[in-house]
Amino acid sequence: MHDQGAGRLARRVSAVEYADGDDASAFGQMLGGLIEANVESRREKRADFEKLRARVGVFVTDIEEGVTLDFQDGHLVVHNGLQPGRDLTIRADAGTVMQLSSVNIGFAGMPNYLDSTGREVVAKMLRGKLKIEGLLGNLTTLNQVTRLFSVQGSADQEAATDRSSP
Amino acid sequence: MVAVEAFSSEWAQLFKDEVNKSAVYRQAAKGWKWRVGLVVEAEPDRNFPESRGIVMDLFEGEARDIAVGTADEARACDFVITAPYSRWKQVAMKELDATRGMLQGKLKLKGDLPTIVRYTKASQELTECTTRVPVAWPDE
Repeated sequence: MHDQGAGRLARRVSAVEYADGDDASAFGQMLGGLIEANVESRREKRADFEKLRARVGVFVTDIEEGVTLDFQDGHLVVHNGLQPGRDLTIRADAGTVMQLSSVNIGFAGMPNYLDSTGREVVAKMLRGKLKIEGLLGNLTTLNQVTRLFSVQGSADQEAATDRSSP
Repeated sequence: MVAVEAFSSEWAQLFKDEVNKSAVYRQAAKGWKWRVGLVVEAEPDRNFPESRGIVMDLFEGEARDIAVGTADEARACDFVITAPYSRWKQVAMKELDATRGMLQGKLKLKGDLPTIVRYTKASQELTECTTRVPVAWPDE
């Protein structure tokens, strides 16, 4: 597979870098690695990655550790800690952060907050166990980031895959 | 139930029994078909002188086999979680949450991240299963 698309993909995949190099936190490496793997394997996630420009903080409350994901139109720089100038900051415990990665993506690429996983996430927001700062005016960014985090495929993609299966 | 030596063949058998008794695991691990290796690194000062590997043949919510072998055998699995003996002991005694441990780098994970994340609930239940096995710890 050496078509033009694959070449472009290879360049994009290598575009995740760690501002702190070898000192990048395990959490930062995990998030960066997750996004990298998602972008590598799913075309629709790559499209999100290429057009996303935002600084997103993720703070895990029960380990008191955060990272800042600086998305720059197809390039991601992962910083240890919460850096200034963030558009969005997500604060939750470790389990909830992992759960965010399991949010299903519905039709038209919208995160599905109506199924059991989505409802649990919404319930945690209502109980204050999941806090999202900067949501006002950044809903589109949140949806893009959720799609990049999510290890679930979009319903559109799944349907297309099902149809093409023998 | 009589306590068994930590990370011994007897422990592996009891652990396997616990996994196969768990309805939660059976449901959460539907679709899982990869081998998981746990590397328990040696800590001679805690009376655990040699590293061991736990090779887990997990398939569609069932533990087909869980065996104790060498660390290299565990490292050859599709997914590998590595930590020193005392960290695994903390996990088994519910002093360290495995998810937190991975995010903090206390447990080192190798393997396809999206797959692991998709099965977070199953991995949490596996951890729960380890806590149900009565263990005689070599450093106690």
